[in-house]
Amino acid sequence: MRLSIALVPSLLLGLSPAWAQVPDPLKGDPKDWLTYSGQYNSHRHSDLKQITAANVSRLQAKWVYHMTGQKDLEATPIVAGGVMYVSQYNRIDALDARTGNIIWQYQRQPIASGAQRGTGFWNNKLYVTTSDKHLLALDARNGSVLWDVAVHDGVQLAGQAPLIVRGKLIVSGNRPHGFIQAYDADTGKYLWSWSPIPAADDARLASWGGQKPDGMPIWVSGSYDPELNLIYYGTGQPEPQWAGEGRKGDNLYSDSIVALNPDTGQLKWWYQNTPHDTHDYDSLEMPVLVDAMWQGKPRKLLLQANRNGFYYILDRTDGEFLQATQFVKKVDWLKGWDAKGHAIPDPAHDPSVKGTTTCPSTAGATNWPSPTYDPKLHLFYFVAQEGCGINVRDTARNYAGTGYLESPDEGKSWQLFTRALDAFTGKKVWDYEQVTSHHYGPGLMSVAGGVVFSPEEFGQFTALDSKTGKVLWHFNTGDVITASPISYSVDGKQYVTIISSSNVFSFGLPDGGAK
Amino acid sequence: MKRYLLIALFAASAAQAQTNPYTDNATAIDQGRGLFNSTCTSCHGPNGTAGEFGPGLAIPGRTYARRTDTQIFDAIKHGIPGTPMPAHQGKLTDDQIWKITAYVHGLRGTAIDAPSPGDLAAGEAVFWGKGSCGSCHMVNGRGSIVGPDLSQLASLRKTNSIIDALTQTQHRVYGPGGAQPHLLTPLPVWPAVRVTTADGKTIRGVLRNEDSFSLQIMGLDQQLHLYDRSKVKIVYEPESLMPTDYDKRLSKQEFDNLLAYLTRLGTPLTPPSPSVKMPGGRDD
Repeated sequence: MRLSIALVPSLLLGLSPAWAQVPDPLKGDPKDWLTYSGQYNSHRHSDLKQITAANVSRLQAKWVYHMTGQKDLEATPIVAGGVMYVSQYNRIDALDARTGNIIWQYQRQPIASGAQRGTGFWNNKLYVTTSDKHLLALDARNGSVLWDVAVHDGVQLAGQAPLIVRGKLIVSGNRPHGFIQAYDADTGKYLWSWSPIPAADDARLASWGGQKPDGMPIWVSGSYDPELNLIYYGTGQPEPQWAGEGRKGDNLYSDSIVALNPDTGQLKWWYQNTPHDTHDYDSLEMPVLVDAMWQGKPRKLLLQANRNGFYYILDRTDGEFLQATQFVKKVDWLKGWDAKGHAIPDPAHDPSVKGTTTCPSTAGATNWPSPTYDPKLHLFYFVAQEGCGINVRDTARNYAGTGYLESPDEGKSWQLFTRALDAFTGKKVWDYEQVTSHHYGPGLMSVAGGVVFSPEEFGQFTALDSKTGKVLWHFNTGDVITASPISYSVDGKQYVTIISSSNVFSFGLPDGGAK
Repeated sequence: MKRYLLIALFAASAAQAQTNPYTDNATAIDQGRGLFNSTCTSCHGPNGTAGEFGPGLAIPGRTYARRTDTQIFDAIKHGIPGTPMPAHQGKLTDDQIWKITAYVHGLRGTAIDAPSPGDLAAGEAVFWGKGSCGSCHMVNGRGSIVGPDLSQLASLRKTNSIIDALTQTQHRVYGPGGAQPHLLTPLPVWPAVRVTTADGKTIRGVLRNEDSFSLQIMGLDQQLHLYDRSKVKIVYEPESLMPTDYDKRLSKQEFDNLLAYLTRLGTPLTPPSPSVKMPGGRDD
């Protein structure tokens, strides 16, 4: 009743309802950056063509905004209709995306810090994950709270950006074990939960050897296929992390890519990348959705460069394993594969009290920093880490704890590369060595003008030629980068943005210089 | 009755959290070192390095299940059930166990928490003389600027790390795995490099920083050299400029004395204090 009254004046004036003009992630206007990965298919690729390989050398800083009281921000900013939204737990700052001037700020007490990786935009709403186990929606126009609900089951949401599809707000978390939940994005009403822990009547419960399933955190956002109406998420490692002897079996649905129906939370299919993991090879690297001819057949593909050192190609309609290609020099955690693409782990590389060398290291051959896909060049770009590590456990008993170390051999210490693969064969096309980057920091973003933006851990924001990996431009942001870049446009001008620690930098071509 | 119970509880908790009578007692810590080396090293290895059967007790990045002296004392006295760690009750007196505990505790800190025995003055003479350490290093304003300043060495490094630096070609100090240094700091290591410029000039020195585009090098000529990476040829030398045969070029006694000197360089680190607001108003 109230809705119809609200609509009357605009209908009388011959205007469509306000929500019809709201930027919509389904339509994917490249002017906006509405989701964590830019698009539901997680290409993290901008169709804007103003900034190109030919002119990027003239890119210049247009503005800087300092997020007071923050550091080490990991958030991907959201841009809708010329306004940029930068998030942290309990907080969103809204900025004029042309100038960096602050328009409004929402700060719920207390001021929080942590690995919060972004907000999401839907129907003129933005979503805030709080440090006190609440979830709330803000009016994107002024920062007013529209609804505020306690998280279902009293659990804490992790820092991943929400994914909003078909009016459903999808969030996830790590404790007491991994979970995904859905809420009505307009009202906050709780809808469903899914957990990677097999239910009591699920035969996959037997994959835990009688031990209670645990772990499998879900701390990165997912992708969405509107035609198949499936969301795709990765799941984390089983617990106890370093001690596998009590949980004999594959430990489903750990280290897997899962496809869920966003309306019901029902599991449509899963593929497990790392069965019976003892190395912390979370499958939380972004699944990238591509429709293409693959080996002579049209396919709906799901591409993922996984922490365990393999680049996977799956059919995303049913999870069929099509191909896995090793993308780092050394991988020794597995003995081989069975015919269905099920990896067979090698127990000789299980962690030990003395320490066991394993390749890739526990930090992974790649990790959560986002990959990007160029749909014209069919290249898949991601951050690869070459190097092995030592996994150590504190006792020989089950439920042993402890951790891991870098390679003891100085000549073989970790090294990060921005790496381009042929998306359909997994073969390496080019490599860019990020000198001095040894630990994961930022993710990547590509633009239709033929540039891959590749920030580096210690502050360099670097532009690479999409075809060759050649450096075209770079800028020292002066602080540690742990976020991923985005691109957007306002008033016909394209911008590229990266957050460096607590500072948001936006770059563009010189005025009048765009060609 | 309740009151008696309360007293009994206090007594029990006091027994659980005893204080080590030898905390910061250099003589006792040194005796603990002797007891450790004759009792524990077959499993745990010398000076906190990893041994054949047990974990190293002073490995950078390791986290400890038993953190307090009482817990370490208990592990030595009663063993750790379910592990090969045996009980030493009856083999060692409580007094001896407290001394070992003080030494083990020192291993978890830095060298200055359990400095090495020896003749300090003789060690200092080796540093500036036969060892020629001062040709690269500075201590309290004296010496060279090529290598790291060692004035606070013992507050920053463990003893086994200092011994490694003097005797092992690979002696990089590893941080905890996966931890990101969320700071832009000068390099914590001094890698040896050789750079050839376009005009054919070669500079040898240590890298003070670099990125994908530039290099900052302290030359053996004690001059700072700043280069564009694309304009020079750079060779990363596999070995440090630091000699690593001090166990051969010095006698055992000279080495021990040098170590006694080095493991006392610095002051025990104090926890960071709150930032200071200076008196007076703004200068505008």
